Amino acid sequence: MADITQIIRFDDLASKNSPIHNLEGRIKLISTIFIILVCVVSKELFIPIMFEIILLTILKIANLSYIDSFKRLLMLLPFGGAIIIFQPFIQPGNIIWSYSWLHITDVGLNWGILLLVRLIVSLTAIIIYSSTTPLQEMASSFRKLKMPRDLAMILSIMVRFLFLFVDELAAIRKSQKSRNFNIHSNNTPYKWRVKQVGYTIGMMFLKAYEQGERVHKSMVSRGFSDTSEMFNEKSTPEKSDYIYLISIIIIAIILEIIIIKYSGQLGYLGQNLAIN
Amino acid sequence: MHIPDGFIPITQCIVYYIILIVALYFSVRWARNNLDEKRIPLLAVLAAGIFAIMSMNMPIPFGTSGHMVGGALVAIVFLAPEAAVLVFTVVLLIQALIFGDGGITALGANVLNMAIIGGFVGLYTFKGLKGFVGNYAAAGIGAWLATVMAALACAIEMGIAGTFPMNIGIPSMVLYHFFIGIIEAVLTVIVLVALDKFRPDLLAWNDESAKGDA
Repeated sequence: MADITQIIRFDDLASKNSPIHNLEGRIKLISTIFIILVCVVSKELFIPIMFEIILLTILKIANLSYIDSFKRLLMLLPFGGAIIIFQPFIQPGNIIWSYSWLHITDVGLNWGILLLVRLIVSLTAIIIYSSTTPLQEMASSFRKLKMPRDLAMILSIMVRFLFLFVDELAAIRKSQKSRNFNIHSNNTPYKWRVKQVGYTIGMMFLKAYEQGERVHKSMVSRGFSDTSEMFNEKSTPEKSDYIYLISIIIIAIILEIIIIKYSGQLGYLGQNLAIN
Repeated sequence: MHIPDGFIPITQCIVYYIILIVALYFSVRWARNNLDEKRIPLLAVLAAGIFAIMSMNMPIPFGTSGHMVGGALVAIVFLAPEAAVLVFTVVLLIQALIFGDGGITALGANVLNMAIIGGFVGLYTFKGLKGFVGNYAAAGIGAWLATVMAALACAIEMGIAGTFPMNIGIPSMVLYHFFIGIIEAVLTVIVLVALDKFRPDLLAWNDESAKGDA
């Protein structure tokens, strides 16, 4: 799992100013999910690659660093990458390379490439979204999009307290480091190391629960009850927000038409590489 | 165990989302009936804590490291898998949106594995065994089985999706999580021991035994 102490850096990035940062929260959320959906259903490389080019342009407009975003992408790739790397070797198809018992098939290789491209586009969309949208805005977007009340409230309060636990985690790591604690160090017995991690998790769990109780008391003292609703700051999408969203939808439709009409002329990019 | 976007066909993602919506409906109803108005801040801050716990590395032999999931732990603390569903839905949603850890389209499948299957298997194994082996051993076995079953479910989903053949996916995922599950079990027990020592009132099983004594 990714290092959550990075969350503070992402929130700093998200608080900057750019045409993409200034888009309305719901528009950013819907467009991100839309791009991911379009790429997930694409069976050819053409649409995801075109969207990756568009996303790289959006990245530039958002004044985000290509190098930092690329580093983030590399950090995220191993999760899906481990599954992708096996695809050429495990999927049945025509053998295009073999060494001893090891075979690479055309179907597996194509499928692996498609999965990789889908993953890269989805992660780029997420990197742009999380780098241009503060956590509170994410939670408020879900509330405005009519997420069920209890869940929306849990999400809103959760993101508020996330930073507290990130600080707590950073403090724990610092104090462990200052005492030369290392989970892989063989200088201490394995059982002892597991116990220490267990105690830390236990303490974190206990702190979370007790903090939850304190938060509840402080909310009640300010008039919170079972029928309370969260305040939604009124914000209506502006013309520029609609233009952004509609442009993305129109681009997707145009790309889909190109695939339907000219897939033969697109060569490898227009080939159906999916196996499901 | 976090399935990314693009690995499961959209039709199957919709099925997992329907399961998630049904599970959320029952979980919200459970929270309203059992946790009074305290439920929202309590589950919210607990979700933030679980988020932090999930990013703590735990030592796994052979120099690798993993992280605790905690689905069984939350279900056992509240004696309700619904608590795990509520906590993990928001945790996995934020993980997907900020870190790209697990996909947005695969959110239903990820909640199904880690919270619904993890929570149910962990809790009902605990309930079934606690009379025979005691609370802690039952919780440990529950947490271990929850990890293995969640990994098994993940391998089956990838198999159905055609992304990873079940004949390779199931043995490799189950074998890897067989060991990860042992650490998850040990950590779950340590957390429960700590909770029982410092705040026994937080453990729902103490409420049950108090009612039994009365």
